[in-house]
Formats: sequence, C-alpha cells, structure tokens
Amino acid sequence: MVVTGRAGALAAAGVVFVALLMPRWAGVGVVVAVVVLVCLVDILLAGSPRRLQLSREGDTAVRLGEQAVVTLLVANPRRRVKGLLRDAWPPSAGVQDAPHQLDLPTGERRRLTTHLVPTRRGDRQAYRVTVRSIGPLGFAGRQGSHNVPWTVRALPPFKSRKHLPSRLARLRELDGRTALLVRGQGTEFDSLRDYVPGDDVRSIDWRATARRGNVVLRTWRPERDRQVAIVIDSGRMSAGRVGDAPRLDHAMDAALLLAALATRAGDRVSLLACDSEVRADVRRPAPEDVLPSFVNALANVDAELVQTDFRVVVSQVLERLGQRSLVVLLTGLDPAVIEESLLPVIGPLLRRHVVVLASVADPRLTEMEESHADLIEIYGAASAARTRLDRERVTAVLTRAGVTVVDENPDHIAPALADTYLALKKAGRL
Amino acid sequence: MSATTAVGRSGAESWRVLRLPLLITCVVVLGVLVVLIATAARTSGPFSPDSAEPTGARALASLLENHGVNVVGTEELRDAVGAGSDRTLLVAPGGSLSRSDWQRIADARWSHVVLLRPSARALEVLAPGVQDVSLGLPKGSRAPDCDLKAAVQSGTATVSGTSYSAPDSAQACYGDGINHTVIRLETEGRIVDVIGSPRSFTNAELATDGNAALALNLLGTHLELVWYVPQYESSNASGDENDGGKPLIPPDVRYVAWALAFAVFVVALWRGRRLGPVVAERLPVIVHAAETTEGRARLYRRSRARDRAAAALRESAIGKLHKAHGIPRRAEPAAVVTTVAARTGRDPAMLYELLYGWPPVDDAALMSLSQELDLLTQEVRRP
Repeated sequence: MVVTGRAGALAAAGVVFVALLMPRWAGVGVVVAVVVLVCLVDILLAGSPRRLQLSREGDTAVRLGEQAVVTLLVANPRRRVKGLLRDAWPPSAGVQDAPHQLDLPTGERRRLTTHLVPTRRGDRQAYRVTVRSIGPLGFAGRQGSHNVPWTVRALPPFKSRKHLPSRLARLRELDGRTALLVRGQGTEFDSLRDYVPGDDVRSIDWRATARRGNVVLRTWRPERDRQVAIVIDSGRMSAGRVGDAPRLDHAMDAALLLAALATRAGDRVSLLACDSEVRADVRRPAPEDVLPSFVNALANVDAELVQTDFRVVVSQVLERLGQRSLVVLLTGLDPAVIEESLLPVIGPLLRRHVVVLASVADPRLTEMEESHADLIEIYGAASAARTRLDRERVTAVLTRAGVTVVDENPDHIAPALADTYLALKKAGRL
Repeated sequence: MSATTAVGRSGAESWRVLRLPLLITCVVVLGVLVVLIATAARTSGPFSPDSAEPTGARALASLLENHGVNVVGTEELRDAVGAGSDRTLLVAPGGSLSRSDWQRIADARWSHVVLLRPSARALEVLAPGVQDVSLGLPKGSRAPDCDLKAAVQSGTATVSGTSYSAPDSAQACYGDGINHTVIRLETEGRIVDVIGSPRSFTNAELATDGNAALALNLLGTHLELVWYVPQYESSNASGDENDGGKPLIPPDVRYVAWALAFAVFVVALWRGRRLGPVVAERLPVIVHAAETTEGRARLYRRSRARDRAAAALRESAIGKLHKAHGIPRRAEPAAVVTTVAARTGRDPAMLYELLYGWPPVDDAALMSLSQELDLLTQEVRRP
C-alpha cells in the first residue's frame, strides 16, 4: 500500500475545509472518510504488481570500471500497471539509472535496461525488483517486490595490459624469432636449417652437414614449457590500501600481466591465492584459457584479516610443482612477518625452485620521507625512513637467501615483475 | 516464469494467515476494555469512596455497603441534582460549585444532605443560619455534648478542623461549647448535616475513637447514598455563564488540529514509504598501508623520541651517501666521513658530528639536523 502526494494534498485541503466550513468532529470525520475512501478505491483499481512476470538477460561479467547492461523483461498479463519500477542492486554494483517509469497495458511486454558500473571486484547479485503500481486516480496504489536473481561478476580490471606489447616484443627478441641463435644457458635445441651467409659459424652442426652434403645450422630457442606458479597472499598484508586500491588488487594486476606474458612465452602458469586457507586455485589451464580462468578465479578473492600461514603456502606450492619452476610470491614486505613466518619455512621452496617475491611499495612513504616542513613532518619522515630501512634490511636478508625481491610502487609493480621474469628467462634460470 | 518470483504474501494469503491472530487480538483488547470499564473507579481524590489512600474514604464506603447502604460515588453534578427523595446526598469538600449549582442541589428534594466542610455559599443555600467562624478546632477526642441521637450513640470522637456557629434550632455537637463541628438542622422538610471535620471519616482516622460509629449513624439514614465528589471544572461543564470567561483557545482550533494531524500523517505515509528495502552489503575493511608508519610517527612525537628519530634520519642519509659515492656497505664511519668531506668540501669534524654525533637535545636541534642532512644528500645528488 502506498499513497501519493495527491492524497497528502487532499488531506491538506481537508484542513481548510474543517477550518472554514465544518469546525466539528463531523468535519474531521468527513475528511478522514473521504481520503480513506478515495485511497481504497484507487488501491482496488490499481494493477497488481504481484501478477507481473519478470525475467532477465544480459551481461554476467564485466571488467571493473566498465559498464554492464542487464535487461529486465516485464510482462503484464493482467490489468494495466502504471507507476515506478526499481531494480535494486547492492550499492557497489553501481546502478546508474533512476527508478524506471512503467506504463504497461494489459498483455504487453517491456524491456527495461539497468546499467551497472561496479565499484568493487567480485560477484554482485541483484537484490529485488520492486514495482509500485499507482491507481487510475493517482491517489494511492500497491507495491510489491519480485525476486529475479542475476549475478554480475566484476572482474579484476587488468590495467597493466598496456605494458604487454612492449614486453612481448622483448620476449620475441629472446625467443629466436629475431636473430639470436647463440647457444647458451636457458636455451634449448630448436631445429636445423640451411646455412645462410652471415650466420654465426659456431652454430654449424658439422655432423648434420656431413650427412646432408650442404652446410646445416643448429638453431636454439629459449626454454619452453617451464612452470610458473603465481602465489597471491590474500592475508592481512594485502588488505592495506595503496593509492586507491588495496595491495591485493595491485598484486592481481601484476599477476595477470605475468600470466599473459609467460603464456605467450610458452610456459605453463598456475595460480594460487592463499592466506590461512586456499582462496583461489587454478592449475595449469590451457594456454588460451589462462587469462579468463585467472580473472574469474580472482574476481571473488578479498583480503582476509588474518595472518597468512606461509607453511600452508609452501606446502601447497610444493604439492603442485614437480619440475624446477618459477614461484612468484606476491605479498607485503613487512619485516616482522617475513622474518618470523616466511623465512623459517621457505627453505624447501628455495632448494627446488626459483623464488621471486614481489611487493607493492607505498608511494605515501616516499612522500612522508621527503617532507620536512615542520616538526610533525620530521617525525613522519623519520618514521618513514625507519620503515624503508627495515624493508631494505629484510630485502637484503631475502636476497642472501636466494630470493629475488621486486619492491615497486603500484604503477610499476606489474611491468617490473614482467621484466624480472624476462631477465630470469634470459639468464636461463628457469 | 510466472508469479513465483513475487516476494512476500499476497493479500488473500496475508488475510488467511493473519485473521486468527487478529481475531484473538480483538477479543483480548475488547475483554480488557470491558474489564477496565467495569472496574474503573468512578471517583478519585480526597474523600472519594473509591480511594484507598489515607485521605480517601473507601473504608467508610465499604462499611456502609456492609450495613446495606448502596453507595453511589460520582463526580458528575447531574447525579447530585437528580431525584432525591428517600436518599442521602453526601457532598465532599473541594470543587468549584457556583451558587446556582447549590441551588439546583437544594431544589432536588433530597431527604438528607451531608455537607463535608462546605463553603460559605453552600451554607447560605442549604443551611441558613450556620456560620463558618473561621476558627480551627485543635485535634482531640471530644464528647458529643448534645442530644443528637446519632452522636450520643457514637460516644467520643476524634475531631479537628473547621467549626461552625449554629442557630438555636439546630442540634450542634462535638464542639468547645460555642462552636461545633457536627451540626444537624432540619429545614424545608429535609435534614442537613454540616460536618466540619471530614478528616475523621478518612481511611486514616476512621478507626480511631467512635469516628466509624458516628459516620455510620450520620450517613446510614437511608438505604441509598449518593456520594458526590465535586470537580473543579464542573461549573463550566454545566454551562454556567456567570463564572469563567471565554476560553483562551477557541474550541474550533481543536478540530483543525486533528485535521492537520491527519494531513501530516498522510504526508508522512507518502514521503516515508520507500521503493523497496535498503540493500545491505558486506564491505571490505579499508586500512591505509602507511597506517603503521604514521602511527609510529605519532608515537615518536608524543614521547619526544628525538634520539630514535635522529637515528633513523641519519641512517637513511648515510645509506643515500653510500649509494651516491659508491662507498662499500660496511665502511667505517671515519672512511665515510673522509670520502664525503673530500667530495663536498665540508669540514670532516662537523660532518662526523652531523652523521654520527649525539642525539639532538631539543626539537629545534632535531629540525636543524634534519635540514642539514637534507642539504647534504641534495648536494650529493647534484654534484
């Protein structure tokens, strides 16, 4: 049951009526009776919102920051329904439209579109569709809700895509598609081909030359089919907000760039998001399926406010990887956490695999360290300096232990991690 | 796809579900109302026959009931001006009865009227000749000292309060010889009792002395007793134009106010009804990553940890110098100072003091230390 502004105006007119014409109990009674009667008649004449038939179609996934369009089909088998329709979603689904005006005569259908620009990663579920049907007199009406489920998944935005072409170019340089035919660490035998003047004579395969009768050259290419395990720490270290997004989101961005690059380089990538338990797990998907499966798996991962259990992380990684692999651990570089929980358990990982630890640095610390205007800022600068020194110390400890550390600002973490990967590949350490 | 998507109950379903609870609620409410009305006290306040307070008179009323007298308590004047033959009217003190009200009571042909501490106006109309002498009688146990049968049978009573002078025709009891608190006179075919000590008949004092007997004897003359407790607004309600001017608020305003209240209610319904419920969602915790560092800065400041702050700043500056000048990481302080002094042309002693000296003694020293270190690293950066 709803009343409109007209009913309010009628009741207000009733005040004037009582004041000027009938200053008695009877006058008040007449006003109340008229308003109630008009509203009741209108409610009875209004089309029933419950009888509407609703269904949805449209987008089920959207990159964060882009717009999804979900269509609501409304069919009215009964009396004309005129009024408002609100398609209710949670606030972070970012509904762009005001409630729809609805005028649906008997037997007709309408298509109403809702535009969503999600403001956070993850699944956003449609809550309810509420229809307010106002009667023909416009004084009152009925209201009812429908449950028309739909889910729009807001995927990680993968903003670092723009760095992919330049890294792929460097990968091709490595890859032997450009003339880089030197045998060395990190390359494997590719094929034999005829000698062309200008080729390095050191690459001539004399045995094959003798067999064939013309000069034949061995070509080499970087090793392929290596395993890359990307491990994202979804514990409290990743909950801290750097810039306008949590560390976790920056880490996901870097992970996606690395995954795209490594897939193009012919490596097998798998993904693990883990804190005290596993939150997302993608094991060696088919190359064309890497990005979609990663993006889907990461969409619903949120930073949990628990301390990451690195014993779980290490045992999970060891269980997944057979051959020597690259393990990329995206976490925070908190000295206490690293020293107390990561270093004691990382030994088995380091013995078998190459470990890279990538961490998102906070530009705010640099900013704090560089401002010296007054005493407050000097204490801030001192505190920021202490934090940086601690990070440098723990970085040194990790490097000594054999871990490659990448500590960069949010804007640079993804390309820096990709570069580290390329450098490792070039050096043949995979 | 059908109406199954609708949320909540339909009208018919709601009615089916709600009718039984509604019925039970209605029955309970009605029952409570009936019980309340049936048992409601018709009068209240001092000398009310329904009041169990020390100043009330419920004890007397139930005593009378036990002796077969039907006590009818009322606050309405119209009960006091009804047909009065073979009935007793008791008028409790208080209220604001006008002369015409008293006249109407007098005209009602009561056989017996008992006035508890009446006003001068009442005495004038109902008991001519009896005068309020404005003399308080001290509280005490007194003998009837008269030949009124009801009083003589009761014996001594504890009386106090107003006393009256009586004409010779009246029977006057319980006094100091000149003025009396209980006076009976018979005029115009009716008996009028004037009692100046109503406190004797309250719940608090009824049990003392012969008070109860006196009250029973005085009030039990007829089988029906109308116990009237006058109210202060009764004279206005009776439409008496003589006293009470025009009300300050015109009576019409009340109806306009009710109409206005209804309008406000309708407007509130209009504005207050939302289009579906508010949608709630779980939000992630937002903590700035630099929170701990900022917290430590505040701690430094609050505890004036100049030594720690200076140490951090110096260590940071030395780290930058190491990088800039290619000094080995584990170089001795002296070696660092020598190298930097050679590059920047500064005095080695002052440089040593700046980089490895004592912690600053006050805030000003910390500020200047920070500025000096800043200058030094800037210089190094732009050689």
